[in-house]
Amino acid sequence: MANYYDIDDIITQEEFVSVIFQKAAGGVGIDPSSETDSVEVGSKVELPFWLAHELQLRQAVSMNVPACFNQKTRLEIQADSACVDLRSRSPYFYEFGCKIAPLVADRTIGPLLLSAFKSRYKEVLTKAHTAAYPAASKHLTILTKEETHLYEAAQSSMAAFKKWRMGGPRFQRASILGRKRKSNE
Amino acid sequence: MYGRKACQLVKELASAEKGQLTPCNSDLFDQVAAECSQHHLELQSLIRKIQEEGLDVQTTRNADHYGALIHHLSLVRNKRCLVAYVYNRAEIIRSLIWKVGPVLPPEIQEKLNHTEEDYFKKLSTALQAYMSRLDLDLTVDMVPPKDPYIQVRVLDDIGVVLSDDKTTNFARHSMHFLKRTDAEQFISRGLMEELTG
Repeated sequence: MANYYDIDDIITQEEFVSVIFQKAAGGVGIDPSSETDSVEVGSKVELPFWLAHELQLRQAVSMNVPACFNQKTRLEIQADSACVDLRSRSPYFYEFGCKIAPLVADRTIGPLLLSAFKSRYKEVLTKAHTAAYPAASKHLTILTKEETHLYEAAQSSMAAFKKWRMGGPRFQRASILGRKRKSNE
Repeated sequence: MYGRKACQLVKELASAEKGQLTPCNSDLFDQVAAECSQHHLELQSLIRKIQEEGLDVQTTRNADHYGALIHHLSLVRNKRCLVAYVYNRAEIIRSLIWKVGPVLPPEIQEKLNHTEEDYFKKLSTALQAYMSRLDLDLTVDMVPPKDPYIQVRVLDDIGVVLSDDKTTNFARHSMHFLKRTDAEQFISRGLMEELTG
């Protein structure tokens, strides 16, 4: 269980999963196709992960593999993983995958995540050190949250190293005050 | 969908730059709290319905049970989002005292709501009390000093300041050679910058 207050974990759990209800549930308005506010057995509903997960534990629903791990994505990752737009599939592709993998019957999600991350990792780090700014911003739009953190970590550690070597003011305006007057850097 | 507003609230935190404070969205916060009360009412009415049918609430697994379960889970989820929102903001506010000092500049002040201001005030009083008991200022020398004196340039009109036994006029663009501990609070508030040779 991740930290209760972890923002990223909370948002990861908001990803939608399609489930099939094994038990009927009354008095809830979660099935948009239903006219009454109840859910019939066998109806297919898109639920956020936090709800789907708990209901699955109580055998009330069965979970399908979410759309972001479908065959098309797999083929694209196999072809050239570095160019796949994972953010549009899910900004928390890896974290979500790790949560989903033990719950669905599909055993191939784990290896898929691993191979995708391994091959993209190298690309992210190389780009972080070499890419010029305008080119980089285009590349950034296809990275997931995790990869963006990596990218920024790579850049900031390089900047910190340069600063350490050159010397410079060690006292700075508190970053919380915003970037308003951050000029000659 | 249940819990969507609560997640919006948390996303607001996530989309802010790291360590930056966003204005407190008490409007959305109240809406989520209202949603919680709504879930609570529906949960109660479903439980009552089960009881009226003469069934045991503990063991019944009918449609009403699962309905009640969904309301319960949504309630717990909303709670987690709300608590996380408050907690993460409180963490940032707590760090302010070390970064900016006990007096908040107005642009940050306006982002806090009433209880958060109160929290900050109490926190700074507690810290002051502790420091005066130790007889040690803990908020200075956040970066290990190399020299007790530093050269600074004044970026904004600060005016005449009394430090130790003499008064100094910190006019804009003037340069001074100061004790590091005196300059520190001005630099962290963005009123001076350190000059390096």
